Amino acid sequence: MRSLSFVQRISLDFTGSLFPHAICLGDADNDSLNELVVGDTSGKLFVYKNDDSKPWITRTCVGMLTCVGVGDLCHKGKNFVVAVGAEGWFHAFDLTAAGGKGSDSSSQHEGLLWDEPKPCFTQHIPANTKVILISDIDGDGRCELVVGYTDRVVRAFRWEESADSSDLGSGQLVLLKKWLLEGQVDSLSVNPGPEGLPELMVSQPGCGYAILLCSWTQEGAPENAEEESTVPPTGENPSRDVILHLTSGRIHNKNVSTHLIGSIRRGSKDDSSKCGLFALCTLDGTLKLMDSTEQLLWSVQVDHQLFALQKLDVTGDGREEVVACAWDGQTYIIDHNRTVVRFQFDENVNAFCAGQYTCKEGRNSPCLVYVSFNHKIYIYWKVELERMEPTNLIRVLEDKPQYRHLLQQLGVDPNDTEAVRKMIGDVLYGKTQNPPRTPPDLSPEH
Amino acid sequence: MLPDIEGACPFVEDSFSRFLSQSNMYGLCQAGEQELLAATLKGKVVCFRYQDLQQKIRPVAKEVQFTYIPVDAEIVSIDAFNKSHPSRGLVVGITFIKEGDKATPFLNIYCDYEPGSEFNLESIAQSCLNLELKYTPFQLYHTEVQCKDGCSETVFLLSGNDQCIHLYKENASLHQFEEQPVERLFPELQYLPSNVLWLDMLSIPGGRRLSAFGCQNGCVGLSLVKQEAPEVLQSWRLQQDSPISTVLLFPLYTHQTSNNTEEQAGGYNLLVTSTIEMAVVYRDVEECGMSKPCCLAESDQCDAVLCALVIDLDFDGQKEVLLGTYGQELLCYKFQQPMTGVAGDFQLLWRRSFKSPLLSVIYLDLTGDGLKELAVLTLKGLHILQHSLCSTAELVLQRLSSRAAALTAPTRGSTPPPTEQREQEEELKQGQEQEETREEQSVSTT
Repeated sequence: MRSLSFVQRISLDFTGSLFPHAICLGDADNDSLNELVVGDTSGKLFVYKNDDSKPWITRTCVGMLTCVGVGDLCHKGKNFVVAVGAEGWFHAFDLTAAGGKGSDSSSQHEGLLWDEPKPCFTQHIPANTKVILISDIDGDGRCELVVGYTDRVVRAFRWEESADSSDLGSGQLVLLKKWLLEGQVDSLSVNPGPEGLPELMVSQPGCGYAILLCSWTQEGAPENAEEESTVPPTGENPSRDVILHLTSGRIHNKNVSTHLIGSIRRGSKDDSSKCGLFALCTLDGTLKLMDSTEQLLWSVQVDHQLFALQKLDVTGDGREEVVACAWDGQTYIIDHNRTVVRFQFDENVNAFCAGQYTCKEGRNSPCLVYVSFNHKIYIYWKVELERMEPTNLIRVLEDKPQYRHLLQQLGVDPNDTEAVRKMIGDVLYGKTQNPPRTPPDLSPEH
Repeated sequence: MLPDIEGACPFVEDSFSRFLSQSNMYGLCQAGEQELLAATLKGKVVCFRYQDLQQKIRPVAKEVQFTYIPVDAEIVSIDAFNKSHPSRGLVVGITFIKEGDKATPFLNIYCDYEPGSEFNLESIAQSCLNLELKYTPFQLYHTEVQCKDGCSETVFLLSGNDQCIHLYKENASLHQFEEQPVERLFPELQYLPSNVLWLDMLSIPGGRRLSAFGCQNGCVGLSLVKQEAPEVLQSWRLQQDSPISTVLLFPLYTHQTSNNTEEQAGGYNLLVTSTIEMAVVYRDVEECGMSKPCCLAESDQCDAVLCALVIDLDFDGQKEVLLGTYGQELLCYKFQQPMTGVAGDFQLLWRRSFKSPLLSVIYLDLTGDGLKELAVLTLKGLHILQHSLCSTAELVLQRLSSRAAALTAPTRGSTPPPTEQREQEEELKQGQEQEETREEQSVSTT
């Protein structure tokens, strides 16, 4: 198995402790560059920007923050930062104009917490939150908020506001639906179904997953109504509309914690196939890549405890690789062809995420984010590979149209590896045809 | 810390193999054309190579069980060479210290005389000559010497803490290596001022060799020696203030021609790296000794320099200087041609950080494509850095086509303008296509 050591990293100060879902990457201030959003157990929300080790913005929320998110929840064409506490307090922040204020944050004293900008919006929703998702789950082009709970419940909310006002204060979250699942929900994701419509997926223990149907779409869409004659009222009959899937294979422990990520990009080439790719990982080391027709693309067994699953395009070819991280820092990057690249982060990991982040150079680059247990967050930035598989120059040259012809012209048989090797070595290291830029006369006259 | 440098490292990491115990600056050597041997402190030797399997190559690090190395041994140094023509076979030397009541140093020399297995590492590792040493060994080095009968032979040179360098030479009649008086072949290595930490030799035209050593007490010795009936022609000494980590003799330009009489442009240079002071290149040493120093600015800013290499890594025919430091940095310097009024000097071109201190670097073709890779041994393991294949492939194609063009139009000079060249290529392509179609036709008619 190929392993690499990434070295370009920055470390951020983070003294608190956090829940594994209280970290995410996203464009928090709507400048098209991504920031890192972290929430801690004392209710502090931190936004880190660029390579600054201190938070760019700090906000105070109510309760223990269990999950954070960034997204256009309010359908205003801009992102809000969302933080949800275990006690059920939902906070939304608009940080678009925060850049200017952030610079003089040093003048704000710790004691004057009421001076701190208030969240744009707070609302109490049911408590015991665990994981959130801000995404369009019903295909209407507008984002919903999905919340997973520690009591095996998933609820979907939609932002609705009174028609006469554009002020954020006039809107609120309205419960769309509640689902009750058999097992713990460790991740929420959206994945295009076989017909290309988004499907809400949640992970279930034992490398399983469930698809949660958005029955409210059928209310407004009479052409689908005949499938289910009695549409349940919103928010009731929670165990309905849950389609459980258990993936086959050797599962040693039916209760093992499972993570899931959907909508893995296939790259531009085969965009024609609508059905989405998703990946599953378990704490006992099973990794699977499947598509929404339940076809298994690959399965990998590792002997590390995988606790986080992300997607990231490290090769820049438009195809997203699956990234799984274990508690001991072992990180696997696996492409669609099951090529594995390993990276060992040298500490135990408290929380992990991967995605685009603007560290240096003023542009987003693929990053791996590790929260350690020693008050630091490490961001490995520019995690870019030319390719996933090791290869050599001859194989790269074989793909060039003129290559074989040129060799033949020079009297070298392209199939004679030894001769080709000699030729390439001679061309690169031999007496060059390109003489040094200045004459090689270095007689030391001065 | 050094300032950020504009230039980026042209290498990308292809693999990293973690070792269970650490190594040291004498712990890496090339064995054969495409393999590396890395010795770790806990008596383990790892053979690293790229395996060609099912149209894919993959890095393989495998432990080789060298016989007669006790479990409580700590390996000090390792070296290997192919016997000089007409003898055949790979010879591996390993020095180690056997712990116990009384620490005893040993030199083990492995080579197989059985026809057919002279290059088989597994069987070489089983045939051992075990020599007990009366001194603590340091660097194990090999060099080729001219014998009286006109043929050449490769010998081991081992420096020790007894202020001597010891010569180990094969006794052809006995089929084994034995210690011989060093002054018989290397008169320049007698009466040393201190323990030698690093030794380097270079054959130069006129049947001469340059020989340099760096000592623990900061002394650098350089000699110009007539190879046949060895005689020291000229000798220089220089005292620096800190232990010398490496000395390296090199011509600045690569001219790999069989014609050895050709004058080396720019003469020979000596790189001296020290554990505290700046690294220095002494220019034109065979003429001027060590009277023309050229400092490598900022090379003292990243802790001690432990390893160095001089290679042409941008394929322009002029070599660059690579320094590996304990401060986890790889530094690359390039010689800037002298301009009017300004003497030429070495300028820092780029640097690359590693995860742990750098101990040793080797440049060799591991992937079997004619393009060499940079192997970097660090405290934690072995990194293989590969040139960017995309850009190198472009360069190879460009050089191949200019060679082909020179071949097809010899009368018009060696470098026709590129447009013309392309036209020619197109013509050729068309011609080939026509031929192909003709062939197809003939096939269809028969």
